[in-house]
Amino acid sequence: MTQYFIRRLLLIVPTFIGITVLVFVITRFVPGGPIERMIAEVQQASMQAGGSMQSAGSGVGAATLDEDQIRELEKYYGFDKPVLVSYWEWLLKVVQFDLGTSSRYSEPVWDTIKERLPVSAFYGIVTMLITYFISIPLGYYKAVKHNSHFDHASSVVVFIGYAIPSYVVGIILLVVFASNLEWFPMGGFYGDEFEDMESIWQQIGDIFYHAALPLLAYVAGSFAVMTFMMKNALMDNLAADYVRTAIAKGIPFRQAITRHAMRNSLIPIATHFGNNISVIIGGSFLIEKIFNIDGLGLLGYESIVERDYPIVLGVLVISAILQLLGNILSDICVAVVDPRVQFR
Amino acid sequence: MALFTLNPLTRKKVNRFKSIRRGYYSFIIFTVLVLLSCVAEMLVNSRALVVHYNGEWFFPTYGAVIPGKKLGLDYDYETNYRDLEAKFEQEKDTGNFVILPPIPYNAFENDLRDGEYPPFPPSLETRHYLGTDTIGRDVAARLIYGFRTAIFFSLILLFVSYLIGVSIGAAMGYFGGLFDLLFQRIIEIWSNIPFLYVIMIVSSIMIPNFFTLIAIILVFGWIQMTWYMRTVTYKEKAREYVMAAKALGASNKRVIFNHILPNTVSIIVTFIPFSIANGIIALTSLDYLGFGLPPPTPSWGELLSQGSNNLESLWIVSSVIVAMTVVLVMVTFIGEAIREAFDPKKHTTYE
Repeated sequence: MTQYFIRRLLLIVPTFIGITVLVFVITRFVPGGPIERMIAEVQQASMQAGGSMQSAGSGVGAATLDEDQIRELEKYYGFDKPVLVSYWEWLLKVVQFDLGTSSRYSEPVWDTIKERLPVSAFYGIVTMLITYFISIPLGYYKAVKHNSHFDHASSVVVFIGYAIPSYVVGIILLVVFASNLEWFPMGGFYGDEFEDMESIWQQIGDIFYHAALPLLAYVAGSFAVMTFMMKNALMDNLAADYVRTAIAKGIPFRQAITRHAMRNSLIPIATHFGNNISVIIGGSFLIEKIFNIDGLGLLGYESIVERDYPIVLGVLVISAILQLLGNILSDICVAVVDPRVQFR
Repeated sequence: MALFTLNPLTRKKVNRFKSIRRGYYSFIIFTVLVLLSCVAEMLVNSRALVVHYNGEWFFPTYGAVIPGKKLGLDYDYETNYRDLEAKFEQEKDTGNFVILPPIPYNAFENDLRDGEYPPFPPSLETRHYLGTDTIGRDVAARLIYGFRTAIFFSLILLFVSYLIGVSIGAAMGYFGGLFDLLFQRIIEIWSNIPFLYVIMIVSSIMIPNFFTLIAIILVFGWIQMTWYMRTVTYKEKAREYVMAAKALGASNKRVIFNHILPNTVSIIVTFIPFSIANGIIALTSLDYLGFGLPPPTPSWGELLSQGSNNLESLWIVSSVIVAMTVVLVMVTFIGEAIREAFDPKKHTTYE
């Protein structure tokens, strides 16, 4: 077992290198990289300053930035070396927690990411707690009361949550509750008066006031699968021989569930546990964009749009590592809950 | 019916599927919608279905451009059939007439008016039944052509990814050994990629078209089916009928294609509706973020993003949300019904 997890941990290295090489190479051969952007900016500035009207085209850059300046920029970004050499240099820096400098904000990438990480983590963790808090009891109740009115009625909600992607739920919530009814704000992580609020409770209240709709969207995306999983697992276990035996021996039904069936039914939920880590990043591009939340997803999205590659790579590094760790964590959880599982 | 006969087991499954009403009706409605979308040009189009002019018949829908001069107008570019209809109505008793499709706009034209600025709200009078978007294109037209794009996108994606998944997965499960090990490692690495993010990066660079976008998603989307297929083949391989076939001297090819594959079809089928839904969602999300098909391709994601940026024009966002919800719920109904039909679960309940 230990051997298996050590191997899994070691596998992170080639996986990580594979992903980053792929993206690094792609970002290299892009038209519109940081240098082209800078040229365009300089050009725009000179146009606004009343410079000669030049038609947009390929030769334009040379007119505004001379060769030496471009070469200097290339050197600054490491574009003057072959791809693999500059990848190696980048990797060496990454290992020392230096993700480079953002070409848009001109501040260290790591600092920018560190600023956003708590926001995404907040949503990830709260979503996870709410999801478990709803799904496990709901799935339990649906399994026990299978085919009852409650089961059918709640199935409708679960089903819709399952069929519609969470960001569409987010848009619906935004349209109904923020735009039309104006019960909740349109977006943001906290309001404008946040800094001036007197007590920490007010601040927490403000955060949750802003978080209500996005959280609902996040939960809508994840609770349906979890509830189904819980219900199906519990029903399978209730039908299993060992529960039938327990009941035949005369154990009260409730005890048969809590002592026997429930424990085994949590196994599939446990396999999902590690996913939560990557959900903090992965599921959030869309919802963070819709609600304009300054998290890691929005940062990644904006940096792709702005072609700010140090940040694109930085976000990739963080989310790849989190996803890798999440998958391993899932396996550990399974091994903990289910002693039958043997990893080789 | 003599063309192909179903074996009794399959017929039983089909009957069980039919007995699950909501899934069966969803299936019928969905199939009709897909078929109708194939001839969307006849339902939603700026070109007329039929023009009768001076004793001559014209059917402009699928043919070449008919210049205005040919139909008695004073210009050489393509006839505006809505104007033509209005003109024919004014000059009565000539026997000339135009039959327009129910929605007389195509997905690309901007309906511009003097002194007014789009988006225009829905109106029966202008025949923009769902209004127009921010640059004056008909929402209903873009919705329907967007549906066609999304559906064929995910059908092609499904077909190719299943083709790859089934071939590689079956080979992995059947032959095992080094081939299996190699692909296991590849899948292990591949499945750890935060793939929405990587697809966003790649397509922001490539500006994909319909087929390159499918290719980009395929690069990351082949794993799931491969993995299922591997497990299933692995299980089937160990069963007696395979051993019997081998003992009779059947070749690998025969065992795989005549014995194992037919037995895995029922598992593959249950995945299809969910793959279709995932394909639609993937395309719509990418379009929403602006990393999908390039404009002006009509797409649901683009409508969603327009709608959520112009919340005061409620008709844009609500029509696309309703359309998406209806289609996705139907597909999921079908999926549930197929799963139920192919893998019925009889639950034990206690009193």
